[in-house]
Amino acid sequence: MTIDRAHATALPLLWFREVEKHYGGFTALAGVSLQVYRGEVVCIIGPSGSGKSTLLRCANLLEPFSSGAILFEGQDITRAARPASIRQRIGMVFQSFELFPHMTALQNIMSGPLTVKRTKRVQAEAEAGVLLDRVGLAGNAQSYPSALSGGQQQRVAIARALAMHPDILLFDEPTSALDPETVGEVLAVMQKLAADDVTMVVVTHEMGFARRAADWVVVMDHGQIVEEGPPALIFGSPTSARTRTFLSHMHSAH
Amino acid sequence: MNLDWSVVWENRGALLEGAGITISLAVTTMAAALPLGLGIAVLRESRWRVIRLLTTAYVEMFRSTPLILQIYWAFYVMPVALGLRLDAITTALFGLIFNIGAYNSETFRAGLRSIRTGQHNAGMALGMSPFQVFRTVVFPQALRRVLPALASTWISLFKDTSLVSVIAVGDLSYASLQLRSQTFRVFEFLTAMAVLYWAMGYPQAKLVDHLHRRFKVTE
Amino acid sequence: MSLAPILANWRFLTTALGVTLALTATSMIIGIIVGLIAGLLRTYGGRVADVCIGFYVDTMRAVPVLAILIWIFFAFPIAFGTSIKPFTAAATGLGLHIAAYFAEAVRAGLLSVRPGQTRAAFALGMTRLQAIRVVVLPQALIRMLPALGSLTTITIKDTAIAAAIAVPELMRQSQIIAGQTYRPFEVYTFAMLVYFLLCFPIARFVDSRFVRLAHRGAS
Repeated sequence: MTIDRAHATALPLLWFREVEKHYGGFTALAGVSLQVYRGEVVCIIGPSGSGKSTLLRCANLLEPFSSGAILFEGQDITRAARPASIRQRIGMVFQSFELFPHMTALQNIMSGPLTVKRTKRVQAEAEAGVLLDRVGLAGNAQSYPSALSGGQQQRVAIARALAMHPDILLFDEPTSALDPETVGEVLAVMQKLAADDVTMVVVTHEMGFARRAADWVVVMDHGQIVEEGPPALIFGSPTSARTRTFLSHMHSAH
Repeated sequence: MNLDWSVVWENRGALLEGAGITISLAVTTMAAALPLGLGIAVLRESRWRVIRLLTTAYVEMFRSTPLILQIYWAFYVMPVALGLRLDAITTALFGLIFNIGAYNSETFRAGLRSIRTGQHNAGMALGMSPFQVFRTVVFPQALRRVLPALASTWISLFKDTSLVSVIAVGDLSYASLQLRSQTFRVFEFLTAMAVLYWAMGYPQAKLVDHLHRRFKVTE
Repeated sequence: MSLAPILANWRFLTTALGVTLALTATSMIIGIIVGLIAGLLRTYGGRVADVCIGFYVDTMRAVPVLAILIWIFFAFPIAFGTSIKPFTAAATGLGLHIAAYFAEAVRAGLLSVRPGQTRAAFALGMTRLQAIRVVVLPQALIRMLPALGSLTTITIKDTAIAAAIAVPELMRQSQIIAGQTYRPFEVYTFAMLVYFLLCFPIARFVDSRFVRLAHRGAS
């Protein structure tokens, strides 16, 4: 059976090839192979501790892995001499926001361009203002993170990642640390990005979001990809028993 | 520069005697400043405003002025003010005890206050008397918080005893300074003094770090 | 009790207070610069730097300020065949002493910033150096503010020890006036008050600033 993957091209933007990670006697990733194409939204779902977040961090070289390779635009970045230059092009949004508490919302967004790209301050500030507007927080430019709600902080964090004009955005459970009432505002921003054809890899427990926004859904368990396919297939007629068990747990939890 | 370390060796008796006085000063001071500090800490929670005010004034005054000045004050002012003639070593002890007592009281106060009232209530709910609650619930927890701070104060105290040399108490610094002027071997005796302090203080500092790690408070 | 000895020497005492403040400021500047470098090196500089700076820090914790000042002023020039002015010796000694405590405060501040912050900086493409400079260090410095307050008052108080090497600061000049006028009670009590008025508000001021800034260092 061939599954139609709308964004597929000859060369994936991000390409995991047989990535393994072991520490001590524990296997976090047991040979994961995955392609992410430009303009695509890939959602990774699966039970806690299945290796989803680890895979995401490996993509950004924030975590070393034992064997295999990760290719970015066809280039092997596994042993990149300057990981920082790769990371400039891969944005990341964290579960715990990780806004810098000593900077205002605007300064947070400017911090990447100013420090890393040495953008002129006037220009960085103008761009940060536009981004803040894009995530619906134009009025909070001068607020410190401590004065913002979780949902607002996460939206600033998304704007901060976007400020580097990354080729791809990685989301590590972006709504897991949020109060239920602010989850929606963050998902709305992400959905808008998806509509703008931003390439995204999203590790999430929000099945509704995966169903609506994903072009491709990946199910992981025990450090392996159990099943992958378009959302209609994964949520409609999953072939793997482990996927079915996981999805039924998610439904009963909600 | 020609150095003659044999002079130091020949006078080892005087130096060690000075070191002995340094140690006894520190031990005596701490022994007296512990109950003093605890007493002040309790009095600062008194229901009478005057007592709270007086004890607070005492603590802040001694924490906010130099110990060396306090020692001078005790030496020159106490006899005039109180009509008391004390020898140098007793005067020095007074200065040190009142100084360290003020710091200890802050330590005890923080320790006692850090125990959440919930812990107190939990003890009372089990049917304990207020004294039993203090003895079995509050005190053991406070001790874990108080001990590392007391250990740090001890380290400062051990060094601070050197300041009593300004009123001619024969501690390690006074002994070294005396030998320096008697023999004119300035470099040798001042270095010997620093090394002796180091040899006594360094292991203590390490021990205190160990205490801090061991009693790291976790809730 | 009479204020005459104070009033008669008003100019003299004001100048002395100026020297105390200048000595405090110079020592603090040395302490902050050396402490910042030592703290950063100890945290990020690898095993050798950790051991060396650890030795420096613990030595400064173990040896009395008096011994350090006297050694720098009297012994050091003999060893190196130079001479050193009292003020320079005092500022160097006090600065290097307080630097050790600063280094520890810097290190504790740096280590307390949670790793997610560094990860977020890396994710933006920052290098290790940029992440420390832009993200970790500013937060550590805010968290250090309470320590900065207490280290400032410690330094003010310790400048009085410089009297032992004849730096013409408040303590030393008070001794001189007390000796000339035979009024130790008035003179030392006055000095006590001046030190209190210097130290007490500083600690309060820094604490109140910190309360307003704390949220910017709390990741």
